[in-house]
Amino acid sequence: MTAQSRSHARPGVRLAAALVLALAAAACAPERDARDARDARWFGSIRPPAANVLRFNNGTEPETTDPSVMSGQPDGMIARILFEGLTEYDPQTLLPVPGQAYRWETSADGLTYTFHLRPNLVWSDGSPLTAHDFVWSWRRVLSPSTASRAAALMYPIVNAEAFNKGTLADSTRLGLAAPDDSTFVVTLRAPTPWLLFLTSYYTFVPVPRACIEKHGARWTEPGKIVNNGAFSLVSHRQNAKYVFAKNPKYWAASEVKLDGIEAYCVDDLNTSTNLYKAGVIDWNPSGYIPSPFLPYVRGFADYTTGEFQATYFYGVNCTRPPFDDPRVRRALNMAIDREAIARDLLKGTRRAWGRLTPSGYPGYDGPPHVPFAPDSARAELARAGFPGGRGFPKFTILFNTSEDHRRIAEAVQAMWKRELNVPVELQNMEWASFQQASTTLRYDVARRSWIGDYLDPSTFLTLLTTGNGNNRSGWSDPEYDRLLRESEREVDPVKRAALLRTAEARALASSPFLPIYHYSTHELIKPYVKGIFHTALDVHPLSRVWIDRDWRQHEPIASGARR
Amino acid sequence: MIAFLVRRVLLVVPTLFVIGSLTFFLVRLAPGGPFQSEKDVPKAALEQMQRAYGLDRPLGEQYVRFLSHAAVGDFGPSYKYPQRQVRDIIAEGFAVSAELGGWALLLAVLIGVPLGVVAAVKQNRFADHAAMAFALAGVSIPNFVLGPALVLVFSLGLYWLPPALWTGPSSRVLPVLTLAAAYVAYIARLTRAGMLEVLGADFVRTARAKGLAERTVVVRHALRLGVLPVVSYLGPAAARILMGSIVVEQIFAIPGLGRQLVNAAFSRDYTLVLGIVLFYASFLLVLNLVVDVLYTRLDPRVELS
Amino acid sequence: MSVGLNPPASVLAEEAAGPPRSLWSDAWRRLRRNRAATLAGAFLLVMCAIAAVAPWLPFVQDPAAQDLALGAVGPSWAHWFGTDDLGRDLFARVLFGGRISMLVGVVGTLVSLVVGVSWGAIAGYFGGRVDEAMMRVVDVLYSLPYLFLVILLLVFFERSLVMLFVALGLVQWLTMARIVRGQVLSLKSRTFVEAARALGASDGAIIVRHLVPNTLGPVIVYTTLTVPAVILQEAFLSFLGLGVQPPGASWGTLVSDGARVLAIFPWLVLFPGLALSLTLLAFNFLGDGLRDALDPQGRRDGN
Repeated sequence: MTAQSRSHARPGVRLAAALVLALAAAACAPERDARDARDARWFGSIRPPAANVLRFNNGTEPETTDPSVMSGQPDGMIARILFEGLTEYDPQTLLPVPGQAYRWETSADGLTYTFHLRPNLVWSDGSPLTAHDFVWSWRRVLSPSTASRAAALMYPIVNAEAFNKGTLADSTRLGLAAPDDSTFVVTLRAPTPWLLFLTSYYTFVPVPRACIEKHGARWTEPGKIVNNGAFSLVSHRQNAKYVFAKNPKYWAASEVKLDGIEAYCVDDLNTSTNLYKAGVIDWNPSGYIPSPFLPYVRGFADYTTGEFQATYFYGVNCTRPPFDDPRVRRALNMAIDREAIARDLLKGTRRAWGRLTPSGYPGYDGPPHVPFAPDSARAELARAGFPGGRGFPKFTILFNTSEDHRRIAEAVQAMWKRELNVPVELQNMEWASFQQASTTLRYDVARRSWIGDYLDPSTFLTLLTTGNGNNRSGWSDPEYDRLLRESEREVDPVKRAALLRTAEARALASSPFLPIYHYSTHELIKPYVKGIFHTALDVHPLSRVWIDRDWRQHEPIASGARR
Repeated sequence: MIAFLVRRVLLVVPTLFVIGSLTFFLVRLAPGGPFQSEKDVPKAALEQMQRAYGLDRPLGEQYVRFLSHAAVGDFGPSYKYPQRQVRDIIAEGFAVSAELGGWALLLAVLIGVPLGVVAAVKQNRFADHAAMAFALAGVSIPNFVLGPALVLVFSLGLYWLPPALWTGPSSRVLPVLTLAAAYVAYIARLTRAGMLEVLGADFVRTARAKGLAERTVVVRHALRLGVLPVVSYLGPAAARILMGSIVVEQIFAIPGLGRQLVNAAFSRDYTLVLGIVLFYASFLLVLNLVVDVLYTRLDPRVELS
Repeated sequence: MSVGLNPPASVLAEEAAGPPRSLWSDAWRRLRRNRAATLAGAFLLVMCAIAAVAPWLPFVQDPAAQDLALGAVGPSWAHWFGTDDLGRDLFARVLFGGRISMLVGVVGTLVSLVVGVSWGAIAGYFGGRVDEAMMRVVDVLYSLPYLFLVILLLVFFERSLVMLFVALGLVQWLTMARIVRGQVLSLKSRTFVEAARALGASDGAIIVRHLVPNTLGPVIVYTTLTVPAVILQEAFLSFLGLGVQPPGASWGTLVSDGARVLAIFPWLVLFPGLALSLTLLAFNFLGDGLRDALDPQGRRDGN
């Protein structure tokens, strides 16, 4: 710390300064150089990039750049940079704002959506983009030969499920139509309140027919790819980075302030955070700060956090005795001290959470949380035939190898031993073996988590329906299935929410899943980057982001340690 | 010698065949498959993907097809990255790993061998202990500790060097040091041991008795045989070091082959695993052949027949 | 700990010109005169003893006992080595981790030593087709993806200590075999081997009495370097689910977990790392001492 930078320090920033010193001390290295680029309030360098380019870590190498096929966070980010759907997310609320469509109408029964495309839309190669492109692209997603992993998101569309599963061959019977070049009509089989969220989703963007027909599977390579979003692909080096440049043909090119984007593929969390600190990247997205570091970066002004619509829970194998007994599952559920995990182990970086669905779904007020009630838990266990844990067979908590999962498992193991006196062991597996064991129900208790695809509780609650591929607990309850089916047909949002709430309460009472915590996002964003905000789904449209070189002048005077 | 070389080169083919066949069945026996995901993959999509890669065919047929393609160095597209050919991934990754490993190997030999020679010549004296302490420091700090420690000091403390990525010359420094450290220790220790064996041998005594300068005795006569254990060690070690280190590539986010192999193994990317394993094996076989030839050059009494 | 190096020593004893006892006691005398080696040996014995009796020592806490509210704190009187983020006593965890790591290090190294030396010596001595075949086996094992071998061990066998040793032994002997073979190739045409052959010594006797003892220098050095490699390899096996399972820990897992939080909880890597490094240093000093003590040529100085 130099005297100069200390003079900048404001009350409440001492802690941050102390932490920087602590870090420096741990490094056994004197602080020096880069005086202008450092300030105790910020985590590391605050020198803006030389070019007008946003540099961030996109994490694990994306598997594909083809938006129709992909599934997953890193892939989706690349797709959203390159492509734009009918609607676009609001960067803060994620509510739909006009994208390729400038307006749309919904029929009174909620089954027909009519989208009107902007006039004179063009692809990056200058060819016109019409409603027929949307029909072709959505059909491509649903076509069995595309093997899209996200095709199920389109199932609300008339005949989509049958066509995707190969029982219907005629693609013209899909509820998709383009009466003229600028009008796109979607017909649904049931009201889908989240449809306008889906139209912003990467699976629903238009893809370039001519380019795909010409280049086949290699159409997404730099030099071949044609796109319609704010940026175009310049180069890609596997396990290194993607480079994008502004697309001058984008309909709102005048509003795009960045000249380009560099998306790095760094999968190591420590490395990602180091790159941010050293000022090589300007944005370290959520999930790329190692958990133990969270309490330490919390004090810096460039740290942002917020709720993330995902929950962390344990799945119980309901097909294996004694876990086929709901009383045993309830006992395990009530013996988890979620508050202690969230407060002490995770240092308040996550919220203790006692139900399956996360918070923040408009109009949905979920059932009460599962309490930490050791006495009731012991009573349930006794009723199930294991008073004081006597005679309870040895069982295992299975998790995929990760420091974070292990810490939670060790804590839960200790709690179950302490409260229920049951013999618990832990086993970790590498990822593929773990997936195999959990999908084939070869486990007792397994670590799970789920991230919502869209802003509606059904994205979580369908997990537990009978035969759902993501159920993976063997739990099956006809009444639960009935409630969910009924909710699909229900048009009245209030009644629908009540149905879903009843269903979730049933699931909690039977405890096939043992909720543990509610995820949060934790990001580091340099102060000169403007336009990136926390969002509930950790989705970030980047087309309107900009680099503010005079950010110090633009800072609110009383900004203190908050962004 | 020529006959030896011809036979050894011819032996490479059956060896690779054995390695390829064993690996082919090993990867398929492992639990899980290439198209598994935390989110359920729809059955229709899964079947389509398996059809596209011929994974729906009987195993025997897949095996024959793999062998006939592998024979011409074609492994097809990666399963995890369907838009990329295994061949391209290997070529790209190897260029990076080989550069990183090459520098590290050079550094390790340039530091390790002289350290070992000095230590042997000055056996049990101060120089010996100092050299060995230095070398042992390299091996007693595992690279996954050394790497982050170096980054902490030189990148995040002093802001001298980039903390990661494979961009300019300055980005090479820390990963090369991290990778070389352990090898320095091995080479220095083995050189010292090899030299000690040789320094007491009759022919060295003879050379000394002839009145040759100690320096000439050590460098001209003893070193040739003294480095034999190092040469044996370097055959496989060089193959490993040039093929990439998962730890170093992970810490420094380097797009090398080591990371690719481990990721491919974890995601059951059969084609990529097979491609990298066979590439590595050919490389290893060639290096070991070089080592065997080197024996005869270093020690004229060694006969390979 | 010197147990680990017994086989070659006893082998050497047999081949001695004089009565075996005298050579062994000779070496023992020379070893004891080497202060560094004696100290190293004593250190290793003490470490082993402490690790062995750790569960019964009054000042060692329960390594699995958590104190979530306490979390990770640096060294103090209550926790000599500090605590990890579950509030567990690191001193206890290092001691308990030493039990598995020392065991793994010694047994894994022994396997590598016995298999590697015999394999390499036989291949090098017989040469020709035998050498060719044996070395190709080594190449094949080198090339097979180790990760899959371990995963398959886990699939087909119950997780156990024996499986852990199998997994460790699977690859560690390969380089040893190559080193010994290289030495033997060079040695077998030397005069003393020719002489032994002329005197009618059998192949086995030549390998055991004349060749192996002369490769001891590099063998001992490589053996001592194998110990830390094996200890760290166990951490990788734990990652795959084969090594120690949580809440248990080994030096390898402690160090690799600690490395991730080096910047904020440096003691978590410092103490297990020190334990590992000191053990390695001790093994190396002991190895050097042994080498000097057993060196057939070195006797020129000793006597």
